[in-house]
Amino acid sequence: MEKPFILHMLTTAKNLSPFDVNMALDAGWVSALPYINVEPSEVQGLVQDAIFSRSTKNLKRTGIFIGGRDTKQAMDMLKTAKRSMVPPFEVSVFADPSGAFTTAAGMVAAVEHELITKFNTTLEGKTILALGGTGPVGQAAAVISAQAGANVRIIGRQLEKAQAIADLCSNEFGDGKITITAGADADKAEYMKTADVVFATGAAGIELLSAELVASAPQLKVAADVNAVPPAGIAGVDAFHNGTPIAGSNSGAVGIGALAIGNIKYQAQNLLLKSMLNTDKPLYLHFEHAFAVARDYIKSKA
Amino acid sequence: MEKRSILHMLDPMPHNSPFDINMAMDAGFDVLMPYSNVKLDSVNGLTQDAIFSRGPAGVKRTGIFIGGRDLALAMDMLNASQRAMVPPFEVSVFADPSGAFTTAAALVACVEKELQNKHGKTLADCKALVFGGTGPVGIATGVIASLAGAQTALVDHLSAETADDVAKAYNRRFSCHLTGAVGGNDAEKAGLLRDADIIFCTAKAGIQVLNAATLKAALQLKVAGDVNAVPPAGIEGIKRNDFGVPLSHAAEGTGAVGVGALAVGNVKYQLQNEMLRLMLETDKPLYLDFRAAFTKAREIV
Repeated sequence: MEKPFILHMLTTAKNLSPFDVNMALDAGWVSALPYINVEPSEVQGLVQDAIFSRSTKNLKRTGIFIGGRDTKQAMDMLKTAKRSMVPPFEVSVFADPSGAFTTAAGMVAAVEHELITKFNTTLEGKTILALGGTGPVGQAAAVISAQAGANVRIIGRQLEKAQAIADLCSNEFGDGKITITAGADADKAEYMKTADVVFATGAAGIELLSAELVASAPQLKVAADVNAVPPAGIAGVDAFHNGTPIAGSNSGAVGIGALAIGNIKYQAQNLLLKSMLNTDKPLYLHFEHAFAVARDYIKSKA
Repeated sequence: MEKRSILHMLDPMPHNSPFDINMAMDAGFDVLMPYSNVKLDSVNGLTQDAIFSRGPAGVKRTGIFIGGRDLALAMDMLNASQRAMVPPFEVSVFADPSGAFTTAAALVACVEKELQNKHGKTLADCKALVFGGTGPVGIATGVIASLAGAQTALVDHLSAETADDVAKAYNRRFSCHLTGAVGGNDAEKAGLLRDADIIFCTAKAGIQVLNAATLKAALQLKVAGDVNAVPPAGIEGIKRNDFGVPLSHAAEGTGAVGVGALAVGNVKYQLQNEMLRLMLETDKPLYLDFRAAFTKAREIV
């Protein structure tokens, strides 16, 4: 008899995200077990405990999910988990702290789609501003788009903090193969003069880009906002926008709102959770894989 | 419709063990509920909460599993849970902290089998050393081996006092006859090995406790068993799948054989699986600890 699918869900926070639990069960995991307040130092022990209680055949029906709120910590935990495997005793692991990796992947894939279909171009060489970009979604989006060839600047209220995050993204998440720059929120009017794309990934309910600045941008093509709570993060972009022209943009820019991004995020997370169920070789999944499946999903729909 | 089977998994540690969760799922429980950071004095309340909500038919589909890292605490929790039952509202309870009871039961049963097969001896004829003897698996191994008649010493890698204290505490509790010893360096280990018939290695995963040179000191060695599945092996020369394979680094003429971690693991796996299944199949509630585990493990090997 085939053994049931078990997903061990680790989080450093004091609760799992019910969003992730629903997603896991809907993707086909029969049982989703929570491990809360997990210290990164406990990951090796938990992983090795999980891999030795099933035959290698049934380990394929076992997985580990890493949540939490911190991008760097989740990536470190993913690496530790991978290192803790004792082949052939190994299982797939998927990191998606705060859903940030799949949200960022959904946003960047949606932006890329608009660039291709409305502007006949790609992310390659585009100048991107990641407003409120120091959080988990902003970080992952910056790395994903830089890896796709864009020049990304993370904008934060404090330049120093934004610079530290940009360095982390370039060196740690991008393996030193990308260079993400930083800028202060106070200087964003200047940066908007050359921006092709804007991501708004700040806290909900804060306007990061005014109507005035949208109008002032001479080459703005796509503006994406993950915030679903009014006021919108980008003036003129509401939650329902999905490639909708932004009223007030002089460059013909289109907007992508939270629901359009959320839909692709949902698909990407579902596809990754499903891929863990069906894989022959263990998978170690993070933002890069989320972006790959988000792109595939958009292509399959087109 | 038959009610779904539920296993309430009580653990005094911050996390339930993923190992036990996989095992419980695979044994056929439909729903697993983890309870972490459980204190001994909460066990009464949790148990009574669990037994009164499903009716007499439902309690048969309900079980309690007790995990953790501390053998004595797990036994206390098992006893507290058993005392909390209000017949006919009672459910089966199985204690297996860190899988220690089933791992230890499997290890001792495997070694006992090889002792019989290859050397025609019983545990009662033998002197045994338990390296990593003050950890959960080590203590359970020591208690089981001692109760089966082996003259058993728990070896701690840091302190003889710790080993002695642990040995005394468990002797009081289970009427066994453990002693304590320290094996911090190769010279100390070699000294202990000199007259040992059996070596149990239950130290931390990925740590080699006995190297080839030290093993040469064991002039009476008959069987060595290792539960460490993460390379390097706890005892040099024992491969994970070995079951009664001649020990390559043994002193000449001993005919010593080794039992590796996956060989023990296979028995442990079957054992834990059967114990969990018993809880689902039984008509009368069962209270399962290391003694029950060893009885069952002997049947399996």
